[in-house]
This record gives sequence, structure tokens and C-alpha cells, in this order.
Amino acid sequence: MVKAWLLGQDTSRAGRHHESRALELAQRLPRLCMAAKEIAASVMHGVHGRRRAGAGETFWQFRPFVAGEAAARIDWRRSAKDDRLYVREREWEAAHSVFLWIDRSPSMAFQSSLAREPKVDRALLLGLAAAELLVRGGERAGLLGLTPALAVLNIVERLAAALLAQERAASYRAEELPAQLSLARGSQLVLTSDFLADKDAIGNMMESYSAQGVRGHLVIVADPVEETFPFSGNTELLDVDSEARLRAGKAETLRAEYLRHLALHREAIALAARRQGWSVTLSRTDRPATETLLALHVLFEAGAGFTASEPGVFG
Amino acid sequence: MPSIPLGFASPFVLAALVGLPLLYLLLRVTPPSPERVPFPPLRLILALRPKEETAARTPLWLVALRIAIAAALIVATAGPVLEPLPEALAGTGPLLIVLDDGWPTAPSFEERRTAAGRALEAATRASRPGALLPLSQASRGIPLDAPDKVLTRLRALKPVPFLPDRLAAAEAIEKFAAVHPKPAILWIADGLDSPQTRQFAERLKAVAGAVILETDASPIRALAGARNETGSLKLRVLRPLLSGPGNGTVRALDRKGLAIGEAAFDFAGRAETEASFELPAELRNDIARLEIAGERSAGAVFLLDERSHRRRIGIISGENADLAQPLLAPDYYLKKALLPFADVLEAGPSAAEPIGTLLDEKASIMILADAGVPAGEAHDRLARFVEDGGILVRFAGSHLAGTFDDLLPVRLRLGGRVLGGAMSWDTPKKLAPFERQSPFFGLNVPDEVTVSRQVLAEPSPGLPARTWASLADGTPLVTASRQGKGLIVLFHVSADTNWSNLPISGLFVGMLRKIVDLSVASQGGAGDVPQAEAKTSKASLAPRQTLDGFGVLGAPPPDAKPIPAGFAGTAEPQHPPGFYGSPEAPAAVNVLASNDTLAAADFSGFGFRAERLSKEQPIDLAPWLLALAFVLLAADTLVSLWLSGALRFARGAAVLLAGLAVAMPAEAQAGEARGPDRDLAAALTTRLAYVATGDARTDEVTRDGLLSLSHELARRTSLTPGEPVAVDPARDELSFYPLIYWPIAPAEPQPSREAAAKAARFMKQGGTIVFDTRDAPLQREGAPSTPQGKWLRTFLEGIDVPALEPIPADHVVTKTFYLLDGFLGRYTTGTTWIEALPPPPADGSPRPARAGDGVSPILITANDLAAGWASGPSGESLFPLMPGGERQHELALRGGINLVMYTLTGNYKSDQVHVRDLLERLAH
Repeated sequence: MVKAWLLGQDTSRAGRHHESRALELAQRLPRLCMAAKEIAASVMHGVHGRRRAGAGETFWQFRPFVAGEAAARIDWRRSAKDDRLYVREREWEAAHSVFLWIDRSPSMAFQSSLAREPKVDRALLLGLAAAELLVRGGERAGLLGLTPALAVLNIVERLAAALLAQERAASYRAEELPAQLSLARGSQLVLTSDFLADKDAIGNMMESYSAQGVRGHLVIVADPVEETFPFSGNTELLDVDSEARLRAGKAETLRAEYLRHLALHREAIALAARRQGWSVTLSRTDRPATETLLALHVLFEAGAGFTASEPGVFG
Repeated sequence: MPSIPLGFASPFVLAALVGLPLLYLLLRVTPPSPERVPFPPLRLILALRPKEETAARTPLWLVALRIAIAAALIVATAGPVLEPLPEALAGTGPLLIVLDDGWPTAPSFEERRTAAGRALEAATRASRPGALLPLSQASRGIPLDAPDKVLTRLRALKPVPFLPDRLAAAEAIEKFAAVHPKPAILWIADGLDSPQTRQFAERLKAVAGAVILETDASPIRALAGARNETGSLKLRVLRPLLSGPGNGTVRALDRKGLAIGEAAFDFAGRAETEASFELPAELRNDIARLEIAGERSAGAVFLLDERSHRRRIGIISGENADLAQPLLAPDYYLKKALLPFADVLEAGPSAAEPIGTLLDEKASIMILADAGVPAGEAHDRLARFVEDGGILVRFAGSHLAGTFDDLLPVRLRLGGRVLGGAMSWDTPKKLAPFERQSPFFGLNVPDEVTVSRQVLAEPSPGLPARTWASLADGTPLVTASRQGKGLIVLFHVSADTNWSNLPISGLFVGMLRKIVDLSVASQGGAGDVPQAEAKTSKASLAPRQTLDGFGVLGAPPPDAKPIPAGFAGTAEPQHPPGFYGSPEAPAAVNVLASNDTLAAADFSGFGFRAERLSKEQPIDLAPWLLALAFVLLAADTLVSLWLSGALRFARGAAVLLAGLAVAMPAEAQAGEARGPDRDLAAALTTRLAYVATGDARTDEVTRDGLLSLSHELARRTSLTPGEPVAVDPARDELSFYPLIYWPIAPAEPQPSREAAAKAARFMKQGGTIVFDTRDAPLQREGAPSTPQGKWLRTFLEGIDVPALEPIPADHVVTKTFYLLDGFLGRYTTGTTWIEALPPPPADGSPRPARAGDGVSPILITANDLAAGWASGPSGESLFPLMPGGERQHELALRGGINLVMYTLTGNYKSDQVHVRDLLERLAH
């Protein structure tokens, strides 16, 4: 019989437990940081070599001086070797800013015996690994509402520290959906959550960000239990962030209905995402995290475009 | 009518089984508690109502399990007993159960009663009236009662301690058969043969419609005929069947029930054997009861009274025993006559005080054969002995005829008379028949007994009453009188054949035996003798304690009647076996006469249906059912836990426990691995060792000191020792270390005896231990010993320490590497002790070094050597020295080097110092 449990203490009540949760997270974070770096490295080496020359440090190319340009731009050392004048052209530094948002609401603190890890661990893992991946790929990554977009080597640690600092704050309350913030145009969002919130709220959120010219990726983290509903017999289902409960004499009779509702919910989200040109990726916690990261990587690799034609990967 | 042999103690409880269907309904609609699962996507389906809310009922098998529990409990409460009933009897008449209840049935009486009860029950089921005849109650008739009344009577039955009268029972059965013709008879027989038994069987056969004979196959054993013989008490052990255990033990108990002895017996295939108690006569006389161990019946108990006690008779003869002519000795015939039934005590020929000696040996009868009793202490003691109930028997003789004393029953005439002598017309007189009141009454007076000489009693009014035997002419031959509780008997003839041929007649033995028997009665405390005899012969002895059928002594039953005195028979219904009469000298009545035998009855010719007594016990099913209910209940609990998902924790705990169980031995092994590894290292490299005292500071100093010494050894000598090592004499193997340094820390507890023994063994096997008390500054001449000294003395108490001496100047230990004057440490004033050497050779030739045969096993110093040795990195002393100085540190190290060299090389150096002399001698 499938077992499922919630992490930590009672997460449905706000209060002093936030600190302990943060500590708990802090205990897990070093492990997650390591894992994030590891899987990011495996993805970088696993797909193909970097085609971009260098990491875009300072030098990009020398090009002939075009009359009318500011003389200060002439690279005299290079020009002295030759009769012509050269301009040292630097790397195009207008890198994309990618903002991450990781859902840490109570419903994420869930794990079943079929899963490899709790949902929240998977979400943190994916988020931090994506940040590492992006930074190594020359982009800037930051946490939505917490940090600016950064391009530092220890990006994973920085983001983890920011997460911890946020959770330590007394006023912290885990949100189910990212807050509406104004972002620079062209920024991208990677939202990691189980997206069990109201589908209209999710659609509205995407719409408002799209209106700012921001595009994004939805990574749906799901426990296998949530995907398959393997319950049978006399079962009482408890909601994780409310007192709601559902008692089913024969849980197996609910399965078809539940799967239908889940499919509807996902379909609605996918439809809304497609409309805004966002991608949707599903990460099941019984599958390796690298799979999802690979998919994300391919999406990043596909360029800044994030074409709306790719609806994402289900299952 | 075959039926399920199942009975219930309280069948009405079974009515509760009706409630089971209700329970079924109740259980069916009450499902087990649901499994509670957190489920984040619940809100997706929260709007749904499950279509089948009550679909999940309790699983059917769980309901069945719980109903089984309830049923088991109900049935168990009803007291089920699995009890095979016997087959119903043939015929249609009433069932008469004839139950033998004599003592042979006692060991198996419970089975007999059960068999009777089951037969009654079977008859009741077959709607046939049943009657019960316990054989001992034949006189009450055979009432045909209601079954429960009969059963009540049956339950109250107990075996009787005698063999009931079968003929009376046969009469009762014939009467019963006259009213109820052709009854079916179940005879539960004791299986013993007797003429009565065969007659009884024939009469049963004549009146009964059918007879079933149930006999018990288990063997019975009985005791009979105890004889207190010279040196041992013997008794017969009987059995009717040759089967069964062939050996056993007979226990002898005294009157208080304390065991005196045990005697084994072995039938060796026969039906009769003998058990014998080889005990001192005093102990044998204490035996009041003999019983076969483990046999519960009155027949297996034999009671002993005073009659079977052996008397101790002291014999004193006036003349010196003439061993060359024993036939002429005055006590020869006495001893011959008494020995078969009494213990004869004699004072040795050299006994100064023969009477006192024999009285000290607790003789109960004193016989003085022609011996006078001189006034004095002996006379007084003898008089007191008689007053206290002893019997004094005197024989006349030449001594007595001349001197009289007061310990005589009658006054005697001086001289006596001679009949039939050469100078007399009289012929030797014969004896007159005994009078009725005489204790000798009943003995035959043989014709050939004649008396040719006797002493005469002074005629007096009381003389006839005191006469027990007289000659044909009426002159008293044996007179007796009571003195206090005791009795003085005088034979007016001598105990040898000079005066009469009475001592060589059978009558003499009979008379003596009667007198010895009187000793019982006289100690019982009767009145004046002849009158008392007359009285007691008619008096009866009331029952005091009687045996029941199981052989247990208890208060006599109300229908027990007194026995006449001198009752010699066996137990009867009116006289159950037991003790009768006064508590001081009870008379015993036993079940079996001394020559009785037991034989198994054979009923094969009667056409009875023979059956064996069933030993099957009814099986009480209640405990089993309760156990079953418990197991089911436990299973139900587990199942319930599992169904509600609470078993997860239990499983986790179990895994944890299993993990602990696996981990703990592994850890323990890891701890042990240390010893052998270190031993291996110690065996490969010579190293110094020290005993860790437990005081951390001391141990650190010691370690530093030994480390420094090891370095110096490596630097200055060819020895490169390994790291010093701390050893625990209790746990570690010591034999790898040549030298063990043992600092004394008086605050630490003494090591265990085993550790001390190990250290002693180490020293015996050639190791050296240096004890360092480190108390040189505290030592004063004449002062009490220091705590360190006391500690060391206590420790060495159990160890064989050789004689010690302060290290002499010429001892080899002062010359093994350096030439030293002493062994310095942190202090310099302490004395260092070593095993005393043999004294120097007498020739006085100065020898530079002396050595014993081996290395001294022990050195005791007070100078704190280790602290003296301890060096810093640049060779300076680590500790302040007293008085101090680099030189002292250097000398301490040199001493240490010498010590190590001494333990490693032994007396080698004492030869080396002579090398020059030896070489010179070789050169010549």
C-alpha cells in the first residue's frame, strides 16, 4: 500500500514553525546545492559542447575601425601591428536575466513512498540547478523578488542563502503563486511549483507577466501518488493547507474521477501557457531530476525565443 | 449410542452463543478506521462526493475472526470437558456398581471413583437406575437413589484401611437382586485373591444378569512382619503381581514423623522380598512407622510399637568370667536365651564400676547373676533405676546365699536349701504349674526341669502375691515386687546349671521373654505387678491414632473400637490399623499379619467381562479455548493495526531493534580486537611495560619516564626497545614483557585476586616487576608505614615473594652496564630491595659481583624511578629532583639502563667480570 506523508511538523499553521522549517531547509540546502551543481554539470557535459567561444569575458573580436566612431575605441596595440585601425569589440553583454521562483507552500512538503524525494526538494533542486546552468551559460539568474539577476560563480550558494534569509524572516508566508512584480522587459521566469492553485489564478499570473514582456517556463513538480492515485479501500484524504478532508469508503472508485480532474487542470494550465508562449514541463519525483533539467536546458538552448510552439513535456 | 464425549460444567453459558449473529451484524456495519493520507491535490476533487461511502465494510474474514474469538470465549466459559464415557451396559435391569474400597484400592482410588462415576453417568443416559455398593458399607444395604445422590455418595467415598468383609457384601447383593432381578453388576475389584473373594465372585455370578469386572493394572505393594533382630530391623515387602516396579525404598520414621533411615528393596522378579535397616539399636527402637516411599495405602505402612523394640539388657555376673570354660560361666545361658530377642550389654571384665557402666549404656533391664550389690553409688543408681521403671532381675547363687541386700523382692533366709543332694532324702523338686496371675501363665512347664538347690524366702503375708513361680511343694522359685515404677525379679536359683537345669530348658527362654515383655508394660506405668497384670489382661486399649486407607495417621473414626490388651490380630472394620492405648507405650495394629502374603486373583473361570481400569483423564478444554481466543485476539489486534496503517511504526521499531542486535556484537568484537593486535606487536618488539594505576597523573609520569629510558637505551646500548606500553594485569597477557614497572598509587583500589595471581605467575615464569612506592621522602626510621607501603603489603599478601635484601654493593645488577652504587630516581634516600642472594662463598675471596641463579622476580624501590628518568627534548629532567642536579638525572638513567640490562641478561655480567681471571687460567 502506498504511504504518503508530509515533511516536518504541521505545515498548515503559520507561526514559529517557520524558523524550524528554515533550519530544516538549511540542513537540506547544502545537500541540495551539491546535487544542483552535480546535475547541472552532468547536463552541461551530457548534451553537447558549448558552441559559444569563450565565456564572453571581455574580448569578442577586432573589427576594422569605421570612420565616425569615437577614436577612443581604437585598440592601438592591435592597430600598431598593421596599417589599419582596429576596434576591440567586447562581448555582447546584454545577457538575459532569468528569475527563478520556487514554490515552498505546504503542499510541496509532500512525499510518498513511491517518490525519490519530497516535492519541495525537487523544486529547490531544479531551481538551483537551473540557476547554475544559466550562469554557466552566460546568463544571469536571480530569485524572483529576492535577489537581482546575478552572474556569479557561487550562484547556488547565493540563492540558497537568500532563500534561507527569507524563510527566517518572521513575516514569511509561503505563497502558492509568485507575487506580481515588475520585471525588465525580456526577462524570463522559471516557475517551479506543483501548480495546484486555482487555474484561473495561474492564467492571470502568466498573463500579467506576459504583459510586461516577460516569458517563462512552468515546471510542474508532481509526486507519483498525485499522478496515479493508487489508493484503495477505506481512506481518508487530508488536505495539507486546510482542514478539508475527504473520506472515501472505496478510494479506488475515485481514481478515474480524480485523474480526469487532474488532466483538466493540467490542460487548462497548458492552454494558458501556450497562449502566452510559455513552456510547461512536468517533473515527477519518481523520475531523476536530470531529465527535467535536460528538458529545461534544451528549452534554454533553443534560444531566447522560447517559442510558443513547444507545449512542454508531460509525463 | 455413540455420542460426542463433550460435557459442560455450566451449559447455560452456551446460551450466549445466540448473540453471535447480532455480533455479526454489529461488526459488519462498523468498518475499521480508515487510512488517513495527506493528499495535496485534494482540492481538485473536493467537490466530489464519493459515490459509495459505506461500501467498505469490515472484511468478511475479519468478522469471522472476531466471531470465532467471541465463540471461543463463550464456550470456554461454559467449561467444556472432553470425557469419553464407557459403553452402556448390556441388559435392561438396574446397574449395580460394586466398588472395592479396601486399602489395596487406595493408590488408584481416584480412577476407581471416576470409573464408577462414568458408569453411573452412562447408565443415567441410558435411563437405567444405578446403585452403588462400597464394599465396606454392605451393612447399610443398597439404596436405589436418584443418580445425583448416588454421585454425591460416590464423591464422599474414601478407601478404608482394612479388607472389608466380602461375605456381608454378597448377602447385601443377594438381597438387592431379590428386589431387582438380574441386575447388571460392575465390580471394580481390588484384584487381590482370598478364599472370600472367590466365594464372593461365585455368589455374584449366581445373581447377576451380567458382570463386568474392572481391575487395576497398576501394582500395589505392602509391608508386613517387621522383626527387630540383632543388628538390623527386617521387614517383608509384598506384592501380588510380578509386574510393576521391581524395587523401591522403605522409609523409617519416628513417632514425630522425622525420617530415621531408608532401606532399598528389590523384588528381583519374586513376589516377596525383604528390606533391612542396619541401624544402631537405639535408633531402631525409635522407629514408629515404616512406609514404602511413594505408595499411598494403609498396606504400605507398618506401625511399630514397644513390642517390636529391642530391649537392652545389661548382664553382670558375680564371678570373674572364666573364658576357658564358657559353659560354666554364670551368664552363658542367659546370653544364649536373651540374644535372639534383645541386645545384651556386658561390662568388660576390667570395668571398675560395671553397674554404672551398663546403666550409662541405657539398659532397660539389668540382670544380676549371682552378684551382690554393695552399698554405695552403684547401689543407689540401681535403686534409682528401678524406681524410674527399670527391671532388675537377679539370680541366686553362692554369693547371694551368703549376703543379702535390699534390692530383693522378698526377704531371704540365710543359707537356702539343698534338695536331692548326697546328704539329703529329698529328690530335686519339679515346678508347679503357673498361677493365673503370674506373668508366666500360659507357659508349659516341662517335666524334666528340676531344682536341686535354691534360696528360700522368709515367709511373710505378702509372699504368695509376689510369687510368680513356685516349686511343686509351694516354695517360691521366682518372686517379684514393684519398687516405684520398676520391678525387681528374683530367680531363687542360679543362672547356671549348678542349682537347677532350668537355664538349659526352653522354659527359661520363655520366662525371660515374658519378663522382657513386661519391661514394656512396666515402663507403661501400671500398678502393682500381679494385680496390674490381672487388670490389663482384661483392660482394653482405646484407639489413639489410626491410619486411613491412604496410610495417613489421623484421629480414629467414631466407629473404631478399643482392642483388648495383647491384641495380636490384624486390622478389622472395628479395629482400624493404628496406635492404641497410652501415648507413652501405644500398641500398634497393622493391616497385614506377619506371615500374610498377597496374591493376585484370577477370575478367568467366571465368565466375567474383564476390563482394565481406564486411566483416561477427562480433558478440560477451557484453557485451550482461552489460549485460542487469546491468539486470535492478538491476531485481530495486529490485523486492525495493519488495516489502519499504524503498523508502520512497529515495523520501523523492529528494523531498529534488528539493526541494534546486528550492530552490538560487531561493536563488541571491535573492542576485543585490541588485545591480540597489541600482543602481537609486543611479541615482535621488546619493550618496557608499566602497570596503569588508573591515576592519570601517575600514569603520564610513568609513561614519560619509560619513554625517556627507552630512548636512552636505544642510544647507549644495543637494545632498541619499542614504545612503552601500559598493561592491565587483570586483562592483558604479561609474558611478552621482560620488565614491568609498577608505580604504587595508594588511592586506587587493589587489583582483583585474579590480577594478583597473574602478576605472581608472571614473576614465577621469569618476569621482573619493579614496584615503586615513590615515598622515599616520607619514609622515616621507625615511623609507621606509608599508605603506599601498606598498599603494596596488602597486594603482596597473596603472592609468594622471595626473601628480599637491600641491593648489596656486589650485586650483579649494579654492574650490568654501568658500575653503580645505587638506584636513584627522583629521590635518592630510598632503599631498593631485591631478592636476597645466597651468602657469599666462605673462602672470603673478594669477588667483584655476585649473582643468583636467575633474575630477581621483584624489585621494590621508593625513589620514584620513572620521574627520575623522564627527560625533556634536550635531555633535561622533566621533574624537579631531590636533591637535584644533572648528575642525579644521569645516574637515574644509568640505574634504569642497568635494571633493563639485568632483566635481559641475567647473571651474564657476573661471569664477564671474571673474564680476565679465566683468560689467565686458560693461558696456563
